Amino acid sequence: MNAPESRVSADVAGLAAAVERVAADLAIAEEPAGFVLALEGESPTETA
Amino acid sequence: MTGWTIQTLARAIAARKISPVEATQACLDRIARLDGRVHAFITVDADGALAAARALEAELAAGRSRGSLHGVPLAYKDLCHVPGLPTSCGTKTREYFTSPVECTAVARLREAGAVTLGKLNMTELAMGPFGDNAHHGDVHNPWKTGHCAGGSSSGSAAAVAAGFALATLGSDTGGSIRLPAACCGVAGLKPTYGRVSRAGAMPLSWSMDHLGPLTRTVADAALILEIVAGHDPRDATSSRRGVPYYLRMLESPIAGLRVGVPENHYFDGIDTEMAATVRAAAEILAGLGALVAPVRVPDPRTLIDVGNVISRSEAAALHARLARERPHELQPAVRARLEIGFHISAHDYLQALRLRSRLAREFITEVFADVDALVAPVIPEPAPALEAVKSGSVDEFVARMGRFSRLTRPFNTLGLPALTVPCGFSSDGRPLALQIVGRAFDEATTLRLGHAYQQATAWHLEGPRL
Repeated sequence: MNAPESRVSADVAGLAAAVERVAADLAIAEEPAGFVLALEGESPTETA
Repeated sequence: MTGWTIQTLARAIAARKISPVEATQACLDRIARLDGRVHAFITVDADGALAAARALEAELAAGRSRGSLHGVPLAYKDLCHVPGLPTSCGTKTREYFTSPVECTAVARLREAGAVTLGKLNMTELAMGPFGDNAHHGDVHNPWKTGHCAGGSSSGSAAAVAAGFALATLGSDTGGSIRLPAACCGVAGLKPTYGRVSRAGAMPLSWSMDHLGPLTRTVADAALILEIVAGHDPRDATSSRRGVPYYLRMLESPIAGLRVGVPENHYFDGIDTEMAATVRAAAEILAGLGALVAPVRVPDPRTLIDVGNVISRSEAAALHARLARERPHELQPAVRARLEIGFHISAHDYLQALRLRSRLAREFITEVFADVDALVAPVIPEPAPALEAVKSGSVDEFVARMGRFSRLTRPFNTLGLPALTVPCGFSSDGRPLALQIVGRAFDEATTLRLGHAYQQATAWHLEGPRL
């Protein structure tokens, strides 16, 4: 790949930091499948 | 006839006032005459289309009708697998994507009587909001050639605006139906995640991809959605919910519906004509009895970041072979955006997926407790000039892409239905548009609001002079 390494590193670090900021208090029980449950109107288990 | 709606044409065909062959030939003639200026198509299947039209004409003569699309000419984004036609996905490779099955959405339209005109131009790998394509030609905006048609379903929007097809299918991973619909002044619906099967369509990000219609009117979008929506055993993510009769529900009054206009983020830094026109459209809805009020919404930047982690990771996984083995074939900006996905950690990808669950739940609970739909701009400015968006360094181009799609990306992360509706023109004649965002699986309300707006206005009746 030709993309400058520094730019890619900066973009990836930026995204990682953004995720880290909001993921700190994620409940242990939170799973990716909760997304579909949210759309379908069902509540996932709220146990931390 | 090429400026008609689906419903008008279908009625005329059913009444034997125009034949499927005449309708198909009219579209093919218009494509042959004008697409050299627009570049909406990658593949025109004139022979196949006319053969299908003749067969449908024979069925009508024998007293058989397949339904609401009998003899109606449509076209599909060149990432939908249509047997017998190549699927480039906007890449240099003529047959980049192959599938063992016909695209389910295309199959359902064909079974309802649609004629396939061909495959539509798009941004390479569906990665970009402007509709530029170095391999197949940049798609030009039919309202103002030299200006972008929006992307990535650029040809899908331009073909409808130019009167080449009565409706088209596009895909939307970060705004790729709604952005070109807004640029080209047509209706475009990104349904709820899971509402329409993606089987047989090239994936860019299995967590964020949606297929949906682009049409001249909201009523036509309802008609197409009614046909393509519904569970498909070939797509594990497709919902088992029943499909409402969207068309019948269109005429329900919108009086009393609660419509929120975001007071934060969605109007920040927006072109003044665009902002004023979208607010004026909300006032028209209020005049029809909707309860329009300002509403605060969660910060879309978090939704965009989380969505970007997911979509970049999945895109790199899906298209690794092309990116690794033939990177020189990719346009620099597409290559740059794919490259990021190779460096995102599994930890961050999984955290983003878990965050998405919480963010969707919070947004649905907090925002839709007070409103039935949101109204916001789709694009921050009217379709910019192609040369302007492509100018400068790759970094500048990529940053421009992010800014142009910042109003649509949040709703891909959330999976909520969002409908682009044209709502006017800039002082120099470029289309302006709003998006109506609804609750999950409540396309009916977004369509009702959009249809009510179109019944009260005439923007959708205008067409470009090519």
